[in-house]
Amino acid sequence: MKNKYIFGGFIIVVFLGIMGYLFTQTNISYEENFAEIMKVNKTVKATGEWVKEKSYHIDKEKNLFSFYVRDYNGTEMQVVYKGAIPNNFESATSVVLTGKYSEKGYFHATNILTKCPSKYEETFEEASS
Amino acid sequence: MIGNVLLTLGLAAGVFTMVMYYLTYRGYQNTLSLARVGYHAMTISVVAASALLLHAILTHQYQYKYVYNYSGDDLPVGLLMSTFYAGQEGSLLIWLLFTVIVGLILLEYTSKRGDLEQRVMMVFSLAAAFLLLMVNPLLQSPFTYLWTEPSYIDVKNINQSFLSMPFIQNFLFEDPGGGKTFVKISTEFAGVLKAQGIAFNDFVIQGKGLNPLLQNFWMQIHPPILFVGFAMSTVPFAFAFASIMKNEYKDWVKQAMPWVLSGTMVLGLAIMLGGYWAYGVLGWGGYWGWDPVENASLVPWLIAVASIHTLLVQMKSQKNGPPRFIKTNLILCIMTYVLVLYSTFLTRSGILGDASVHSFVDPGMTVYLLLVIFVLAFTILGFGGVAYRWKHLNETYEYKENVLSRELALFTGAVTLIASGIIVLAGTSAPIFGTSVEIRFYNELNLPIAIIIGLLNGFSLMLKWKSTNGLDIWKSFKGSIIATLVLSAIIIVAGGVYDVMLALLIISSVFTIVINSEIAYRIFKGRVSYVGAYIAHVGIALFLIGSVATGGFTENAQVDLVKGQPSKVLGYDLTFTGFEVNNEGKYAFNIDIERDGSKSTAAPVMYIAEFNNSLMREPDILNKFTKDFYISPISYEDSQSRAGDGHSHGDVVLIKDEPHVYHDSKITFTGFNFPENQMSAMQDGTGFEIGAVIEVDHNGQKYNVEPKMVSKGGERSFVGVEVPEANLKITMSNLDASGKVIVSFSSLDGSSSDHSHQASVKQEILTIEASVKPYINLVWAGVIIMVIGFTVAAFRRSKESLA
Repeated sequence: MKNKYIFGGFIIVVFLGIMGYLFTQTNISYEENFAEIMKVNKTVKATGEWVKEKSYHIDKEKNLFSFYVRDYNGTEMQVVYKGAIPNNFESATSVVLTGKYSEKGYFHATNILTKCPSKYEETFEEASS
Repeated sequence: MIGNVLLTLGLAAGVFTMVMYYLTYRGYQNTLSLARVGYHAMTISVVAASALLLHAILTHQYQYKYVYNYSGDDLPVGLLMSTFYAGQEGSLLIWLLFTVIVGLILLEYTSKRGDLEQRVMMVFSLAAAFLLLMVNPLLQSPFTYLWTEPSYIDVKNINQSFLSMPFIQNFLFEDPGGGKTFVKISTEFAGVLKAQGIAFNDFVIQGKGLNPLLQNFWMQIHPPILFVGFAMSTVPFAFAFASIMKNEYKDWVKQAMPWVLSGTMVLGLAIMLGGYWAYGVLGWGGYWGWDPVENASLVPWLIAVASIHTLLVQMKSQKNGPPRFIKTNLILCIMTYVLVLYSTFLTRSGILGDASVHSFVDPGMTVYLLLVIFVLAFTILGFGGVAYRWKHLNETYEYKENVLSRELALFTGAVTLIASGIIVLAGTSAPIFGTSVEIRFYNELNLPIAIIIGLLNGFSLMLKWKSTNGLDIWKSFKGSIIATLVLSAIIIVAGGVYDVMLALLIISSVFTIVINSEIAYRIFKGRVSYVGAYIAHVGIALFLIGSVATGGFTENAQVDLVKGQPSKVLGYDLTFTGFEVNNEGKYAFNIDIERDGSKSTAAPVMYIAEFNNSLMREPDILNKFTKDFYISPISYEDSQSRAGDGHSHGDVVLIKDEPHVYHDSKITFTGFNFPENQMSAMQDGTGFEIGAVIEVDHNGQKYNVEPKMVSKGGERSFVGVEVPEANLKITMSNLDASGKVIVSFSSLDGSSSDHSHQASVKQEILTIEASVKPYINLVWAGVIIMVIGFTVAAFRRSKESLA
């Protein structure tokens, strides 16, 4: 056995092993059905539409931004995000939220990606993290 | 029209060039000059088409869909020019443009080196032809007319004097949701316009404009350099494949080396310019966010860096012995380009739509398929070639090796870089399978890799080529090892680096710096041109130390700055002094910053962009030698707008121990009353209350009162107080743990309300997020030093490649 295969192989095996493990740990799947999100205690990327009628709320003391989103079934869910209101939020037609449904009864988002497609205008996206 | 003709001619010339070079390779005598003519014809077509697009942009020819979609009348010239590559089609064209120009230099280079030209340029022309296919009129030409496919454009972009004309009425549409009016532009409509004798360009007089996120200085720099890097990554592939064709594996290494070095330098520079853009202008707070598109260009860079090191081993070993790592070198050089193509596929296919900031919109099925074919073609070609020669390579080249050799250390280092590449690639490709990974996936995996790479780098330089005696190492590098340990200990203790992994990374980076500096110093006295690698290594090590400092030790705070009132934030005294509107209609919020007697100002910017009708924020940075003080604006409110939040116009902010005079009382907020049992109640999440102790001095008599904030079940309420002796009622409406409360005063008998007060209490509050980023300058300095090192090395190797 050549040395290079021993050394190279060792590094690759170790890191791919750790990678495989971490991948399962940090893996986030997309979920569009809020009912599912509320059931499982797992970090997901949720896609939904901001419920404009319910507006949004900014708590400056705690630096929280909260609002409601609705999925394609019409299921609504409260979202709380620690941070400022993302650019583009008001004009977004859909948002992609990364986070977890908390036991306190709301979706705790760690990242909000706003998407602004309109029928006549081109899509553009923007993230805030 | 002419543009499309040029692009089609270019494609034909590209295919012709490829065939002619192939025939030359097969031994035909008079095809070489034809091939060169073909290549120049392709270059001229592409350059002319690019010039035409630039001209169309500068003269606002909105009949072109691309110009209409990404450009506008009100952009300054520099940004207007950068709309050339703001969209999918144009960015492919600029990539193509740089590819053919790089090819001209490559043609010149290879023509001087034996029979290299026909093989290398054949592959290179194939790559250029693929890009030409992508911008072909049938696929994604930037010269497509606006009406080719029916599209709706906002009437605000149309010369208003035509709107009342009868012919247009059939083409006007209302957006049911937004209340906007659109004109449907179609072939039919273009015909109607023509029949009316109206030039299209007089009808549509404004474009959609450039996304405000892209409207800054770095948009003019980062993308072009990135595309130069992409274009240059084609070269190592062409060299590797050329050597597979000839079944000769020695010369190409030396010949490809300067190209690999300079290409890697350009790509690395481009990536970090993007990082600086994100940090300094976009306000992401950091320079690297593991965004899939950033990653997509990082992976080929990692592989290219790995290839430099294994190419070096082959160059050294074949001077007086059998060549080493032939297969590795072929594979890595092929991988670099394939990964560039793969990253293009990820960015442009629309797959990352939900995952990335940079991604383009879904380009449609044809383009998607062509992108897949593009990636697959070069993957199959490259790896097929290696597989075809595999057996031959295994049988022809054999060698012995020693464990303690620089060759093996370099190989292990290269494998570690590849492991990092695989990790980043796996995380980045996850969206294809409908999933994605958290940021910590990258951080946790790459941290140990960076440690290993730093250690291996220093260690490999202590080793000699072929084999080394363990004792010799210790003898000759005793001083350096001790210096490393002492220096690392100082940094770790002084900086308080108590995280084991970060401390290890510090040690490994310092080790790299010490060893490389020592060698560089020795060389510097001799042959300066040999110093490149060591400079680059010091650069990367400084970069790593900088990233430990900023990644592990950044402090953040969000604060409300009340105009005219200083607040202490992370050790700085900040005073918001008001805003001004600059000539672009953006609001700059001036903040005085004071620390240890030295004063400076910062002016973060916010504005509402018309383009997408949303709030844009730009940070400002106070750059100090050892740290950056980073200020991101979050929101701005004056007291009028706060009224809706339940604040009355009479709001007064009481700062701790600063007396406020109301009528004939002096009112001082002296501190919070927050007993321990309440504090634990707050931590438990149950209800709690906080009192604000306020001292009222009325005609020499002092009264202590305590309005309260009560929190119960997440709802907050406030309990006010009355001081009958002073005819005063104090209502609290908010409090801030940093030492201020917002209250309003009124008279108990109602004789005097806040009227007299209103003018003086108008408040302007700027909310910012401030952070102190220690030693971030090391990150930038590291990159600059690395680029210098690469450049020196590329010059040296290009001289050697002729020998």
